[in-house]
Amino acid sequence: MDMNMGANMNNQTVIRTQDINLWYGTTHALTDITMEIQKNKVTALIGPSGCGKSTLIRVFDRMNDIINGCRIEGKVFFNGKNIYDPDIDVIEIRKKIGMIFQKPNPFPMSVYDNVAYGPRIHNVTKRAHLEEIVKKSLKLSALWNEVEDRLGQSALGLSGGQQQRLCIARALAVEPEVILMDEPTSALDPIATAKIEDLITDLKKQYTVVIVTHNMQQAARISDYTGFMYLGKLIEFGKTVQVFERPEQELTENYITGRFG
Amino acid sequence: MNLKAVIPVAVIVVVIIGAYTGGLFGTGDRSEIQTLSVQGSTTVLPIVQKAAERYMDLHATVNIQISGGGSSVGVKSAGEGTVDIGMASRELKDAEKNEYPDLKVITIARDGIALIVNLSNPISGVTVEEVKGIYDGTYTNWSELGGDDVDIVVVGRDSASGTREFFWEHVMKKEDFVAGMLEKNSNGAVKQTIIQTPGAVGYVGLGYIDSTIKVLTVKVGDEEVEPTIENVKNGSYPISRNLYLLVKGGPEGLAKDFIDFILSDEGQSIVQEEGFVPV
Amino acid sequence: MRGSRHKSAERIIEKLLLASATIAVIIVFFIILYLFRDAYPAFKEVGLVKILTGMKWNPVGEPPSYGAYPLVVGTVLVTLGAMAFSIPLGIGSAIFISEIAPSRLKPGFKFLTELLSGIPSVVYGFFGLVVMTTWLRITFNQPTGESWLAGSILLGIMALPTIISVSEDAISSVPTDYKEASLAVGATKWQTIRNVVVPSALSGITAAIILGIGRAIGETMAVMMVTGNAAVLPEPITNVFSPIRTITGTLGIEMGEVAVGSSHYHALFALAVILFVIVLLVNSSALGVLMKLNEKFNPTEKKSRGWIPRAAASLLRRAFWGAIVVVILYFAYCRSGVRGSLEAGLVLAFFSVFVIILAHHPFPRHEQTAFFAAISGSAVVVLILLGVILYYIVSKGIPAISWEFLTQPPRDLGRGGGIFPAIVGTLYLIGGAMLIAVPPGVGAGIYLSEYAREGKITRLIRAGIDNLNGTPSIVFGLFGFAFLVLYLNFGISLLAGMITLGVMVLPTIVRTTEEAVKSVPQSLREASLAVGATKWQTIRNVVVPPAAPGVITGIILSVGRAAGETAPIMFTATVFSQRFLPHSPLDPVMALPYHLFVLTTSIPNSIQNAYGTALVLLVVVLLIYAAAAMIRFRYRRTVRW
Repeated sequence: MDMNMGANMNNQTVIRTQDINLWYGTTHALTDITMEIQKNKVTALIGPSGCGKSTLIRVFDRMNDIINGCRIEGKVFFNGKNIYDPDIDVIEIRKKIGMIFQKPNPFPMSVYDNVAYGPRIHNVTKRAHLEEIVKKSLKLSALWNEVEDRLGQSALGLSGGQQQRLCIARALAVEPEVILMDEPTSALDPIATAKIEDLITDLKKQYTVVIVTHNMQQAARISDYTGFMYLGKLIEFGKTVQVFERPEQELTENYITGRFG
Repeated sequence: MNLKAVIPVAVIVVVIIGAYTGGLFGTGDRSEIQTLSVQGSTTVLPIVQKAAERYMDLHATVNIQISGGGSSVGVKSAGEGTVDIGMASRELKDAEKNEYPDLKVITIARDGIALIVNLSNPISGVTVEEVKGIYDGTYTNWSELGGDDVDIVVVGRDSASGTREFFWEHVMKKEDFVAGMLEKNSNGAVKQTIIQTPGAVGYVGLGYIDSTIKVLTVKVGDEEVEPTIENVKNGSYPISRNLYLLVKGGPEGLAKDFIDFILSDEGQSIVQEEGFVPV
Repeated sequence: MRGSRHKSAERIIEKLLLASATIAVIIVFFIILYLFRDAYPAFKEVGLVKILTGMKWNPVGEPPSYGAYPLVVGTVLVTLGAMAFSIPLGIGSAIFISEIAPSRLKPGFKFLTELLSGIPSVVYGFFGLVVMTTWLRITFNQPTGESWLAGSILLGIMALPTIISVSEDAISSVPTDYKEASLAVGATKWQTIRNVVVPSALSGITAAIILGIGRAIGETMAVMMVTGNAAVLPEPITNVFSPIRTITGTLGIEMGEVAVGSSHYHALFALAVILFVIVLLVNSSALGVLMKLNEKFNPTEKKSRGWIPRAAASLLRRAFWGAIVVVILYFAYCRSGVRGSLEAGLVLAFFSVFVIILAHHPFPRHEQTAFFAAISGSAVVVLILLGVILYYIVSKGIPAISWEFLTQPPRDLGRGGGIFPAIVGTLYLIGGAMLIAVPPGVGAGIYLSEYAREGKITRLIRAGIDNLNGTPSIVFGLFGFAFLVLYLNFGISLLAGMITLGVMVLPTIVRTTEEAVKSVPQSLREASLAVGATKWQTIRNVVVPPAAPGVITGIILSVGRAAGETAPIMFTATVFSQRFLPHSPLDPVMALPYHLFVLTTSIPNSIQNAYGTALVLLVVVLLIYAAAAMIRFRYRRTVRW
């Protein structure tokens, strides 16, 4: 498998996986995944449904831990440390690697409390400081102008797109380094999707983003690197331009040109 | 309609209907069977139950159904005619006499009431006055009665009990019981507490006397009288009361025959077997 | 044409559900009315104030006194004690089962805790009297162990299965979405449970607590065996070793013997009404707390909180707590001078440290360890309790069991022979009660959740149902006796007993069904409606299947309660002996709990067979549970979201 990362020496690896294998019970869901995620870039994972891309993204912040019967082998290095080492603090990992889910899942609390949830968990108790964080996160997620005057109201009253941006704000509020997004726009309309895509492009200045998407145009539009997965294997991984324009594998080409999928 | 859901429900219904009809046809011809229902005081229940077992052995087509519920349930259901015979361990109250003027009361046995204490208690006998002193709170420690330095735990029956009413009238002279008295709703419960509580004293019917508890004698004059069936019968033991059956308008037919059986020599020997005093 | 047929079928089903809700409600209010009718003469004769404030309960004294104050205080104290014991333990165990225990063991744990509810109250009472009060007396060197503490512990144990079962259902149905979102921002498992899972399940947990309190407050047979029933106030009021008397204990003891129609009789009904009001107060304050919490968690449109009033609110809150501290210190000072206030101060300081630790979480990691240990500990405590009680019943009961014991009618007052007719009678009673209660109960639950518009009337109905749940079983018994046996002239019969038991378990079934149905996500209903399903089709195919485990839980709890209750059937259905099995629903039956009750209280030297009867009763309930649990397990496996 060609693991051409490009020659750009400015690039800095944030997450590196090494021979990841994962089973749900007896189902072999991921096979020998080895890849690198670059800092301050957007990395997209594409592939047909059931190819394992959502499973893979959940490997990065150990969300698969909470699924019964899930077993994982291999190593995932985050800033040089294997996050599956037994002495690693999974809480610290999840704090530094945020996650956005397919379906917007705000808590049934107020807008404010949703964003403040993470900081509170991590012992920010001073009101002024909390308010600052909430404001900053909502501004970063481009939601502040829309919710400024309704912070005390239930988050469930927001539109779907707003809810998803609220979830992004909630993730940003704990100041992660990496943000994982699992098909974040699949439940949204084109306008809300465009807003989220703009937001992702903005976010990469400060954060590293990994996004799972089944929308190839979206991957082409916003990502710097793209990985194509099929049947639990990483078939091809490289710069987005290269993967889309000069795919090395026939499978990748077939998928991108719409011959299957 | 969802067939899968219907099938188990149908099976259950069929089984239940089957069970009922099975019960209906299973035990032979109903028309021959004469039924007699008895309800009321649980104190009287053992006598009637035992008598009924004996009576049904003699009469194959008779079915006597006995249930408890308490004296007032006995009065009420006999008065309303829901059952053939009521059982009561107390006399009818004025309210009940007014409500059911045609209720006939038949005394079938006497119940001697024994004072019992824990086996570890060295006291062996008391006077009626001392009993009153224990139950009205004058004495609070066994040492005041010549026993060990142990707090007295006073155990009595509930305020609706016929046993208590009798005790209150004849021992307490209608004065109030001490407020901290533990109240139990049955002889069995009183006895259980006495068995496991070193400082406890209580009163139960003679039928409940056995080696797990210690029975106190009662001093009458100079004589220490033991609560035995003999002593109650000859009147030397001072604490006892009557047990009654109630029949609306007087007993007839099967009810009369059954009550006559209880009052017969054979019936009265059952009374004695169960620890009650024949009349 | 198809459409119109659908529409009319739809309308018929709605009407049917409405009818079952109406039946449930009518029964509820009928019983309430009946209570008040018989209590009224006492209030008129003695006066409400005199009953409530009178210090002496001596209805057979001369003159009689009907002071219920010590009984009211006793009821409140015993219930509070039971709740202090069972709420933390119960919710802890529920969290353990749904969030911490390995998933393979979950059904097992749940089943074991439900076994606790299958133990008849007479057995609890007997166990409490013989084992627990002795243990308390010796351990704490008291003259007698029959006390407030004994009553609280026992009622706490009895309330546990309800609290565990219903809250576990609520906690399990919190969407995984929420948990994932919380974990993704780096919350620990415990933080997630505390801040997201438990608050989301709050409605169900509140229902669990209300049902649990109901069970505790309404319990008669067990509580009267272990509290000593002395109508006195504990001295001092915190003396948990003082004997105490509850309202239900008084009803249970005196109801059976009191002359019907006497002022004593009406005074007892007045007590029942007072108890009813207490339950009402407890339930509405529980609901009030729930609404407060909900508000905090799920703010409404109207109340947008600005920055500044919040500071004021926190100031007010501090002032409020300060005032409470001052009041407590003042009372402590009045009661026992400087020393008392010092002691109270120490206790308060201890509590504030505890509260501060809880509120500020200085050590999230250790907190998680500590709380998980506490939660697992509570599950272990529950299992140990179950183990002790089961061991006690089984070891004492086994020697009595023989083929003859299971297949023969009793002889010699139950000292010999067997209990076959009682086994059959109990099965009949349970089956009949379920046939009577399940259809209207489940129907009413579905109606309340899916059709009824939320408003004053639904709230009133819910309040009525919750209250009926807390009504002591002996009141149902008396209702059955007066209305079914005497007025409708059913006589003492299987039918009267089935109806009485059915009515008694109806509130549990309605409420658990409603909660289970409510917890089905709205999106499922919308998805079904969106493909053109009618409302009833949606309910039948989409809402009911995932709610079924919860509904079955409610029914299981009801079966356990119906099987083990003595008070409702002792006046209405049972005889101590029966020559033949019942021929028709109008014949009386023997029943296991009643047989056990008579053996333990009224038949000397029958203890061996009493233990045997208790064991058989337990096994009968266990078999029914096992069947129901299997059904639930199958549903659980097939339905997940």
